[in-house]
Amino acid sequence: MTFDTITRAWFGLLFLSAASVLIAAGFTETLGAGATGGLVLVFAWMKARVILSRYLGLWQAPVWLSGFNWALGLFCLLLLGLFLIPEVSP
Amino acid sequence: MRAGETNNSGVLDELPGDLMMWVLIVSELLVFGAGLAAFLGVRVVDPDGFAAARNYLHPALAGLNTIVLITSGYFAARALDLSKGQRQSSVRWNLLWAGLLGAVFLAIKIYEYADVAGQGISTETHPFFTFYYLLTGFHALHVLAGMVILALVSWKRTSRNVEVGTAFWHMVDLVWVLLFPVIYLLA
Repeated sequence: MTFDTITRAWFGLLFLSAASVLIAAGFTETLGAGATGGLVLVFAWMKARVILSRYLGLWQAPVWLSGFNWALGLFCLLLLGLFLIPEVSP
Repeated sequence: MRAGETNNSGVLDELPGDLMMWVLIVSELLVFGAGLAAFLGVRVVDPDGFAAARNYLHPALAGLNTIVLITSGYFAARALDLSKGQRQSSVRWNLLWAGLLGAVFLAIKIYEYADVAGQGISTETHPFFTFYYLLTGFHALHVLAGMVILALVSWKRTSRNVEVGTAFWHMVDLVWVLLFPVIYLLA
């Protein structure tokens, strides 16, 4: 891995974090709580992928990276489902 | 050795770094994951109470802490990359920067706790705050442990020590990027 890859990962994480905060702070009323929650969790999942792949080195082990991606993706879907229950309840 | 055993060993051998560190990373993800799922599960019965409780927190401070911890992870990743070469003094500096930013994270977290507690809020005030103190406090303890580990690794620098120490630090980073949006942005 080169410094360029590490630096790109860092910029990516900063961008995704800023996007999460901006969407949660400024677009909840426009997009609705469901879409905002979905986007925030997608960004969290993407950040986790960057850390696992680039910082923890799983880019060298594609099978494990894919397994972690699926597990974390399903976990984020579970969180989104729990978050949306009160939104869709009468 | 039978063929099946060879294959199993091969899959595990693909994991970068120490296998036991990966066992720890998965264990920590399961513990914090269960905590976050329970947090949103309890919110189902009182979404308005959770929304009101979240207003006492400081998402901007937590966002700043996210930048601090991500940048700290960047220095840890640089340290690991440098440890594979000959620039050992640079490894130490990058590890120390990572640890120093961990201290900044904790200082901001202590300020946040003092502010919330100063408003008379404790773990008993509302279930939101029970989870808030429990999850963020447990994570802060991991940051503290990570700082000690980074200090030890910068003292006893071998490429294996740097790999294991920085993996622990990235695990702390990984937990935070899941914990921060759920507690500070979603609730």
